[in-house]
Amino acid sequence: MNGGKLSMVRLKNDLNASWAIAKKDVKIYYLTPPTLMFGILFPLFMFLAFAVGRNAPVTTLIPGLVSITLLFSTSSIGPAVIPTERRVKTYDRLLSAPISSYSIMVGKTLSGFLFGLGIGGIMVIVSLLLFGTQIINAPSLILGLVLPAFCFAMLGIMLAMFPRENPGDIMLMLNFIRLPLIFVSGIFISIESMPYFGQVAAIFSPLTYANDLVRFAFEGKSIYGPVLDSFVLIFFTGAFLAVGRKIESRFQV
Amino acid sequence: MGSAIEVINLTKQYTNVLAVDRINFEVEEGEVFGFLGPNGAGKTTTIRILTGLTKPSGGEARIFGHDIHREAITAKSYMGIVPEESNVYHDLSAWDNMMFTGELYHISRAERERRAIELLEMFGLYDRRDEKVRGFSKGMKRRLTISMALISNPRLLFLDEPTAGLDVQSTLIIKSVIREQNKRGVTVFLTTHNIEEANVTCDRVAIINRGRIAAIDRPENLKRTIQSAQSVGVAFDKMQLVVVKDLEGIPSVNEVRKEGDKYRLYTEDPPMVLAGTWDYARVHNLRIISLNTMGPSLEDVFVRLTGIAVMPKEGGT
Repeated sequence: MNGGKLSMVRLKNDLNASWAIAKKDVKIYYLTPPTLMFGILFPLFMFLAFAVGRNAPVTTLIPGLVSITLLFSTSSIGPAVIPTERRVKTYDRLLSAPISSYSIMVGKTLSGFLFGLGIGGIMVIVSLLLFGTQIINAPSLILGLVLPAFCFAMLGIMLAMFPRENPGDIMLMLNFIRLPLIFVSGIFISIESMPYFGQVAAIFSPLTYANDLVRFAFEGKSIYGPVLDSFVLIFFTGAFLAVGRKIESRFQV
Repeated sequence: MGSAIEVINLTKQYTNVLAVDRINFEVEEGEVFGFLGPNGAGKTTTIRILTGLTKPSGGEARIFGHDIHREAITAKSYMGIVPEESNVYHDLSAWDNMMFTGELYHISRAERERRAIELLEMFGLYDRRDEKVRGFSKGMKRRLTISMALISNPRLLFLDEPTAGLDVQSTLIIKSVIREQNKRGVTVFLTTHNIEEANVTCDRVAIINRGRIAAIDRPENLKRTIQSAQSVGVAFDKMQLVVVKDLEGIPSVNEVRKEGDKYRLYTEDPPMVLAGTWDYARVHNLRIISLNTMGPSLEDVFVRLTGIAVMPKEGGT
């Protein structure tokens, strides 16, 4: 087999294995207490804590709710699942299979992605049916669900590459990152009204671009534009994948 | 036949521990190779390096000529792995566990279904294929782990303590399948604490101690190296009257060990000890109910090479 053909076969095998890993995770972990806790209840209550009592109409809060739900639900799967699998040694099964590390990471990301997409999708449907929210730009909504879901899922996987066997260890690191993000990404306070240092910090937050995309879909308003938002989210996804691989390789015993 | 495994100067240094120290060995294709050693000797580290789970600090390990580190995917495609702990997915059914493993090894749906039916029947799990593994016994989980390792039709099977702590039925099924796989040409790399299992199963064994290979040969050749571990086994009708010190006084007896309801007298001269044992029985008015001579066991070799104490000497009455 020549090199090019071999690479194509490897890529196909890796993608099939990623899909198999994602399906397996969906079957096993979606309804487990840590997933439900960190993926659904945590963002919902966090949102309510900040949104209740504000005078803004509910419809203006929906984009922010969708964005942080995507962030919390998708990024929770990897940190909840991978350390547990390390502890019970099923992660070794993946590591000893004839697939690349990227295949495992993408598979795990896919399971977080699908989880977040499902929760985010339900949230959008509920907001349309209960609050009469309008979708102004459907393609942006699709991008605003798909790209952030993949990006944030990869963020969780990146941190889960630290060789820990206790999900709490990874969740701690993850919360260290994602809790500050919700304050500098225009979720509760618009970026335009933030002080200068906040506006600078917002540029480095992937949640900023996710929120901007979703806001554009619902309100037709955007700071950076949907094209730039999409590219930046793709860039962050790639960066998280590369850093995650680096962490895995650096800490392999 | 070529080499299934080649290990060259393999080394693993953890922060303060040299777990594996420049070991070399080769496993021929089609061989059943036993890897023995006391706890902490470096067995698990070696097997983890050979299966691509741990990165070596130095040296090389090749699986059918492919470096496990640099050509990991190709090397891993030849292997089936049964780790010491049955790492099955408890919240999946036995069938789903098999299907998932098949997918990881890139086996087509039709083929993995065919193999899964064949293997689950072979291991007596087919009737419970749709049940979640959480409810399985330890032996059933072990059998499923081995089924999963075999779904890809591996050329090389790593078995880490395959029968440790299992019920008789599971142990017999597993041993029979190992023999069957080996007959079909599968190379088996077996680590076990059960030295008798290694003795009857393995073509060759390596004994690792403190990270270094202490010996590597056929079990019979290893046994021949320690003639002083020949012994006479004897059981008397009134064991409570036997005094160990008296048995130690029989000419040519080097050591006495109580093994269940018998004594084992170690010697380099079994005929002399046989005669002495008859005399001892006559003088003490005891009846011998069994008497036999035994060559050195693989366990004796293991004890000699690793320096561990298997059983303390026991005093008689």
